Amino acid sequence: MTADFLVEMKQITKRFPGVLANDRVDLQVKRGEILALLGENGSGKSTLMSILSGLYRPDAGEIYVEGRKVTFKSPREAIDAGIGMVHQHFKQVDTFSVAENIILGSKEAKFLLKAGKVEKEIEELSRGYGLQVDPTAKIWQLSIAERQRVEIVKMLYRGSKLLILDEPTAVLTPQEARELFQVIRQMTARGQSIILITHKLNEVMEVADRVTVLRSGVAVATRERQQVNQRELARLMMGQDIIVPSKKNPGQFGQEVLKLESATADSDSRRPGLKDISLTVRQGEILGIAGIAGNGRRELAEVIAGLRPLSKGKILIGGKDVTNLSPLEIIEEGVSYIPEDRLGSGLVPNLGAVDNLILKEYRRPGLGRGPFINRRKAGEFAARLIQDVGVKVTGLEVPVKKLSGGNLQRLLLARELASSPKVIVAVYPVRGLDIAASEAVHKMLLEQRSKGAAIVLISEDLEELLKLSDHIGVLYKGRLMGILPVEEAEPEKIGLMMLGAQPGEVMAS
Amino acid sequence: MIRLERRSAPSPAGMVLIPLTAIFLALLTGAVFLYINGLGSPKGISWGQVLAVYTGMLDGAFGSGYGLSETIVKAIPLMLCGLGVSIAFRMQLWNIGAEGQFYMGAFAAAWVALSFPDLPACVMLPAMVLTGMLCGGLWGLIPAVPRAYLGVNETITTLMLNYVAILWVNYLVFGPWKDPQGMNFPLSKPFTPAAVLPTLGNSRVHLGLAFALVLAVALWIALRQSRWGYEVTVIGESPRAARYAGMNITKNILLVMFFSGAIAGLAGMAEVSAIAQRMQQGLSPGYGYTAIIVAWLAKLNPFAILLVSFLLGALQVGGYSVQSSGVPAAIVFMIQGALLFFVLGGEFFNRYKIVCTGKTKMEV
Amino acid sequence: MKRIISFVFMLVFVVALVGCGGEKPKAQEDKKEPAAKEKLKVAFIYVGPVGDGGWSYAHDQGRKYLEQQMPDVETSYIESVPEGADSERVLTELVEKGNKIIFATSFGYMDSVIKVAQKYPDVKFLHCSGYKTAENVGTYFGRMYQARYLTGIIAGKTTKSNTIGYVAAFPIPEVIRGINAFTLGVRSVNPNAKVKVVWTNTWYDPAAEKEAAKSLLEAGADVITQHQDTPGPQQAAEEKGKFSIGYNSDMSKMAPKAVMTSAVWNWGPYYVETVKAIKEGTWKSSQYWGPMSDKIVDLAPYGPMVPEDVKKLVEAKKQEILEGKFDVFTGPIKDQTGKERVAAGQKMTDAEMLSFDWFVEGVDGTIPK
Repeated sequence: MTADFLVEMKQITKRFPGVLANDRVDLQVKRGEILALLGENGSGKSTLMSILSGLYRPDAGEIYVEGRKVTFKSPREAIDAGIGMVHQHFKQVDTFSVAENIILGSKEAKFLLKAGKVEKEIEELSRGYGLQVDPTAKIWQLSIAERQRVEIVKMLYRGSKLLILDEPTAVLTPQEARELFQVIRQMTARGQSIILITHKLNEVMEVADRVTVLRSGVAVATRERQQVNQRELARLMMGQDIIVPSKKNPGQFGQEVLKLESATADSDSRRPGLKDISLTVRQGEILGIAGIAGNGRRELAEVIAGLRPLSKGKILIGGKDVTNLSPLEIIEEGVSYIPEDRLGSGLVPNLGAVDNLILKEYRRPGLGRGPFINRRKAGEFAARLIQDVGVKVTGLEVPVKKLSGGNLQRLLLARELASSPKVIVAVYPVRGLDIAASEAVHKMLLEQRSKGAAIVLISEDLEELLKLSDHIGVLYKGRLMGILPVEEAEPEKIGLMMLGAQPGEVMAS
Repeated sequence: MIRLERRSAPSPAGMVLIPLTAIFLALLTGAVFLYINGLGSPKGISWGQVLAVYTGMLDGAFGSGYGLSETIVKAIPLMLCGLGVSIAFRMQLWNIGAEGQFYMGAFAAAWVALSFPDLPACVMLPAMVLTGMLCGGLWGLIPAVPRAYLGVNETITTLMLNYVAILWVNYLVFGPWKDPQGMNFPLSKPFTPAAVLPTLGNSRVHLGLAFALVLAVALWIALRQSRWGYEVTVIGESPRAARYAGMNITKNILLVMFFSGAIAGLAGMAEVSAIAQRMQQGLSPGYGYTAIIVAWLAKLNPFAILLVSFLLGALQVGGYSVQSSGVPAAIVFMIQGALLFFVLGGEFFNRYKIVCTGKTKMEV
Repeated sequence: MKRIISFVFMLVFVVALVGCGGEKPKAQEDKKEPAAKEKLKVAFIYVGPVGDGGWSYAHDQGRKYLEQQMPDVETSYIESVPEGADSERVLTELVEKGNKIIFATSFGYMDSVIKVAQKYPDVKFLHCSGYKTAENVGTYFGRMYQARYLTGIIAGKTTKSNTIGYVAAFPIPEVIRGINAFTLGVRSVNPNAKVKVVWTNTWYDPAAEKEAAKSLLEAGADVITQHQDTPGPQQAAEEKGKFSIGYNSDMSKMAPKAVMTSAVWNWGPYYVETVKAIKEGTWKSSQYWGPMSDKIVDLAPYGPMVPEDVKKLVEAKKQEILEGKFDVFTGPIKDQTGKERVAAGQKMTDAEMLSFDWFVEGVDGTIPK
């Protein structure tokens, strides 16, 4: 064990039902450094850090702190070993004071709180690190940034040597974020180590000493900050090994099927929705959509599937205006949707394969008579689909939540592709799947393409997009930055467009 | 460290063993209390006598044709209310309002019986059934509307409407509906014989039992075989998937709450017609609330609801019958409470398991 | 599969229950039979728990008295039986268990008593406070209004604020009659005093009764009385340092500083008389409404705070009632609107008293119509 490293994680593997969240991940943290842990949403950053902070236990792999092997059974034990995590959602008692919150649940909190002494200690501690916190203030009086500082002070007070910050700037204004970065730099000067979980490239460049990049649960690279640039990081994050799309036949595009004209929609929260999106997808064409999470990828998918109303603009399918029709009417128009959350909107976890497969078919006369569903016919229908796509199920009535991720996705595709759709919207269709399952899903999509479907493929994996798409569009803050033919779509170019560059600028550079 | 983890599926052995253990523990707890209580009496008590209390309860509930028939009488409103709430629960609509829907059903049926006393039974009874169901259904629909259109939590609104319904019936029997011959006592006029549901032989078991049986079969078929039942199940399990599949969630909320209320209303109609045979306050000793436990224990399965209602009915009938052997009511209520507590608690262990975090065992 | 398993479990449960049920009861009955042959079995059903310190408690005291006085009688009781559907079953079970006389001690059992009595003509039923009789069903009650009147005198003499609070259960004739008698008693010594009535719509709810009394105390009442089954109102008066008059049984133990006296039921002698008459075959169905002179109603001993002169006044009036020289509801009696309802010198008939639906002058409250 080299004692250079404060913390070392070796070959960490963590599986969740249907997902391989961490796959033999190695990670090292030096004393007094800021390590950025970079990755897309769902790449396994949070899982890895939850393992390090004692919230989860790994299925395999080892953790060493200062050269000694440790196993954490609870966050408490991780804190005792000097590892503290500041989560995105703070667990604080609103009506308690800062000092009370800091001492809450710590070892010192027996029965009697020596408030005065604790408050003084906290004040000294926070002054030392440049974290302005009034220990007597009540939590409800504080801003989000101040609450975050309280959380950091809490970890320092408990003797943390390694502080894990989970996307700390997500809740901060740019000014607050800058202040936070100053503070953590000061902290490293005093010997603290910090892991900064983020998916923002500029933060890495601004504050990190080193960066480890996770993609699909695998640690793909670790670099010194000086040795990388944003472009390379983007490539690492999105998938660097770009295979020339060999399996794909050249496109034979037919008539226009899907057309969006100045489509504008609100988002659920303050995040940008969609602004003025115009695009066209023809028969036999796959339009790939790239973009960083929160820039309108999901909204675009929902708008096409009829799940999110347009505030402005139009959607046409086969020349027919389908703007703001009900989901049912959109389905009737031949739109299939492979949503981002397979087990949330795609499939019904507690129901069996039959009930899930007839979800879009149960109204059709083929499956029953009058108000009834013919269970026998439904079973036959389901069995046929299952055979077609080769899903392995233990029984047609076994809740589908017990299936693996790959089988779930095959089941979902079987249903969505059964009706020979005119338009397919697929969102992250291979997220969390192993290579074989991913290949199978890609094959199914390409088959639909050759059958003449118009496909919108939304993905965080650039490799996947380049492999399957005929054209690639890039979303940034709800706007379509441009659509490039796949031949012209170099990963660097796409990466910069994802950060807000116009295609013209990229070409010029 | 000990932690709770949700089971991905209840283990088959657990489904049998846990409830049996729960019942055993409940009876054991009750026995201890009975014994302690018995120590205070001048004659003292033996464990044999404690056992006799339990056999007495069983005897009271099942031991004779009469006991059995009374257990069924007690079970009928539980069955109907349980079936009613189960449809709503299936769609994850927490209808706590069966009690109020029961009262409104009874109210409407009584209104028909009191306002048109000259109707023959063949017109009277169907009219009472229809108005009872309609009124109970509308009472269920009231909280469904804000829920469907504004997302207002139905748990609170259904609960609050119970009080409105109960006070409304109280108002009627203390006021406008008071029997002039009743010397100012809070009772309505008795119904004419035409307004009383037929009973089985000499017992008090009434046609409501047939309602419950038919409804259970109908519900089972509807939920399993019909498009509507399929929609209800999908909406309950995953509203997002249902929405994507183009199901009309708003319409189904309204429909399901109406049916849920209508069935509870039918229970009220049957009870007021066959048992009370006049409107009076305290018509239900909380059937609508017990029905929630029934539906939950039965895991919303219509046939299991019939059975669980029967068992809960037995628990109450048996409870009164052991009092005459000198067991105080409070102890009987405690045994009943302990049984429910342990069975419901056991249910918890069917759904969760205790994990000792000291070991690195993973459940898949 | 899951459903099948749960269904099987349910079946097992039932079979287990029935199976156990089949074996044991025999042994139990064997034990009981020899005793049952000798003794006359008498049963009581109560609406509240026997420990309520009020209505059911008073009846249970009567039951104990009966057992004491007649050793050849075996009594049993079932408590907390809700009025309505359940009572019919409980009555039937008591008959099936060999009871020959059943006292049903709450008004709401009336219809059930009549129904069950039809099925079992050889069993005698006595129903307290109702109005329906049959060949084998008699009713019984006491003229509590006489005691109420006397307590009214004490309240009228005690009040300083001239406001007396009355916590009342339901607006039924029995309760209204008590309020009227009490008010007449109050006004006989203090024509300016008012009796303020609050309805609780429950016979037995310790918390609600206490709350109702508190609201009356806050509204200025300095003496509290009640037509309720628990001592909650008495305790409310005690806590506020005010005075009170109990009901059902002597409530002075629960609120020693407040309770001046209680209008009490004394069922024992009646139970003994009735059981004896039935045993000897001289009993006939009747509507018994026992006066104070039968000892069925009485006053509990006075608290130390009641002055001697008041005691004397009350005792004198009591003597008149006992000797039949004074009737509480003797005209002139005016209603709340000031209209004369009973002409001077005229006495109200039992039928009129049993269907009281109006308040006398001096009552501050309304009867819901």
